[in-house]
Amino acid sequence: MTPLALGGVIFAVALILLATGMPIAFALGSTALIFMLWTDGFDAVMYMADTVFAGLDDFTLASIPMFIIMGAAVASSRAGSDLYEALNRWLYKVPGSLVISNIGACALFSALTGSSPATCAAIGKMGIPEMRRRGYAADLATGSIAAGGTLGILIPPSVTMILYGIASETSIGRLFIAGILPGLMLTGLFIAWALFLSWRRGTTKVSADVYYSWAQRFELLPRLLPLLGVIIGVIYALYGGIATPSEAAGVGAALCLIMVIVIYRMWHWTAIWTIVRDAIRESGMLLLIIGMSVLFSYAMSSSLVTQSIAEAIAEMEVNRWILLALINVLLLVLGCFLPPAAIILMTTPIILPVITAAGFDPIWFGVVLTINMELGLITPPVGLNLFVINGITPDVSLTTILRGAFPFMMCMVISIVLLCFFPEIATWLPTAMMG
Amino acid sequence: MKQIYKWVCRLSQVSGMVAALLMVVSVFVVCQMIFVRAVLGESSIWQTEFVTYALVAATFLGAPYILLTKGHVNVDLLPLFLSHKARVALAWVASIASLTFCLLFLYSALHWWYEAWNLDLTTPSIWRARLWIPYLSVPVGMTLLCLQYVVDIWALATGRDMPFGMDPSKQKEMA
Repeated sequence: MTPLALGGVIFAVALILLATGMPIAFALGSTALIFMLWTDGFDAVMYMADTVFAGLDDFTLASIPMFIIMGAAVASSRAGSDLYEALNRWLYKVPGSLVISNIGACALFSALTGSSPATCAAIGKMGIPEMRRRGYAADLATGSIAAGGTLGILIPPSVTMILYGIASETSIGRLFIAGILPGLMLTGLFIAWALFLSWRRGTTKVSADVYYSWAQRFELLPRLLPLLGVIIGVIYALYGGIATPSEAAGVGAALCLIMVIVIYRMWHWTAIWTIVRDAIRESGMLLLIIGMSVLFSYAMSSSLVTQSIAEAIAEMEVNRWILLALINVLLLVLGCFLPPAAIILMTTPIILPVITAAGFDPIWFGVVLTINMELGLITPPVGLNLFVINGITPDVSLTTILRGAFPFMMCMVISIVLLCFFPEIATWLPTAMMG
Repeated sequence: MKQIYKWVCRLSQVSGMVAALLMVVSVFVVCQMIFVRAVLGESSIWQTEFVTYALVAATFLGAPYILLTKGHVNVDLLPLFLSHKARVALAWVASIASLTFCLLFLYSALHWWYEAWNLDLTTPSIWRARLWIPYLSVPVGMTLLCLQYVVDIWALATGRDMPFGMDPSKQKEMA
């Protein structure tokens, strides 16, 4: 069997195993094992544990659990509600302020947690009922939060970008900076659409019965500013080359943990357990997928599949923009079924050589890929954010949420197109700051 | 069997707590390492290796707890569209396949751990940590994971647990 055909069989087996509903980590591991058994016989079993452990034995990977602890600490506190409330109090005189507060709070909370479902849940719990109470339609209220939540993986720090950085061996600090301007651009596009829609529907009016004094506006800032300060400090430490991602994330996690405990008085054992429990669940699940994907990549590259696919694509000599469009469509389709971690770890070793051979910047591609993964979070049938929103507002049907989220998906497609025409949106800031 | 079920679940919970503790300790070890290097001006000796091994150990020791709390992410697209009966059948296939993989991994881990212990292998760093200590987390975690799978399959067979944790009356809204 040629390596290309073998690659096709490996992907087919992986998809079949994934479709059974078994954990992604074990589906990837089993696929790898089947092919290792086929090529090397039972000896393959003997080096499984060693290969997985060696793959995880990397200090860079420590940044993942550290950022997850940081996010879990913030997400389990009332910081999300405070953030939303603070923005609402400061912006309440601006027409359409509720929409701006919602999406703005999503963007800021993304910077604090790096997680899309956590952002959706934290801001949505406050934002959606408030928007509906003030007459906004359910589709806009839910759709804007479902989309706003996706900013979690684009605005730094982002676990998705760390995974891409590890899989592609590109600088995580550079990737983080590259995500800032596209993240702001996407936030702007989301706000613009939401304002346009609410203006057309006549819901942008400022409520005359709402008033906040200056004291009320300043009231929440002492709780929020220290947390935002930590994030800025972490990102500055990364950009300035003062600390590695794992070190910066470690200090950030310790500071967020302590601050949340002190500011939000979460010193009860059950509150602390909730934070570490959520963190170990997410981090353990992700690291196990990463470990098993090492086995998967090993099986693919030892049978020359990775190299053959990259060569075959290069030999096709198609226009590089058509190639990019095809890759994006493939990622979009995969994003409808698989979570970002699995897609990035399975496809990056194959796609990256093709992308760099076609002359695209790997950092820029990381941003495009992340926006693509964001789309997957709000597309059916397994869009995680849709289900988080559905959990918060069980009276709104998934179809309504999806209808509301669709225009925001188009905003993401527009931003991918803009990034293709103006790659500087992603590449200018890292070059200006890091050279 | 009910007692065994309870005990295995409790063991997974304890294992999860140990994993969580290792994670928290790692966070503070990273801070200590930066303090030692940046403030005291000394070089760090054991911290990088300790953090890396502690987090790998947390991953394997946390795995049974994550399974207990249904936290291992999966693609539940097919189960969502199936009838309850077909879902049960698919959950059997998924669980048996996962258990088989975990058992083979455990076999591999035991052999690999024994070699490190028998040869008294150490890390090449100045710290010279005995490798069998961090390696031990892999067979221990995988043993507990296999046990958790066995009791989960029993819970599925006796109807204590719903396949993929899904309500039998609910089928997907968006077809």
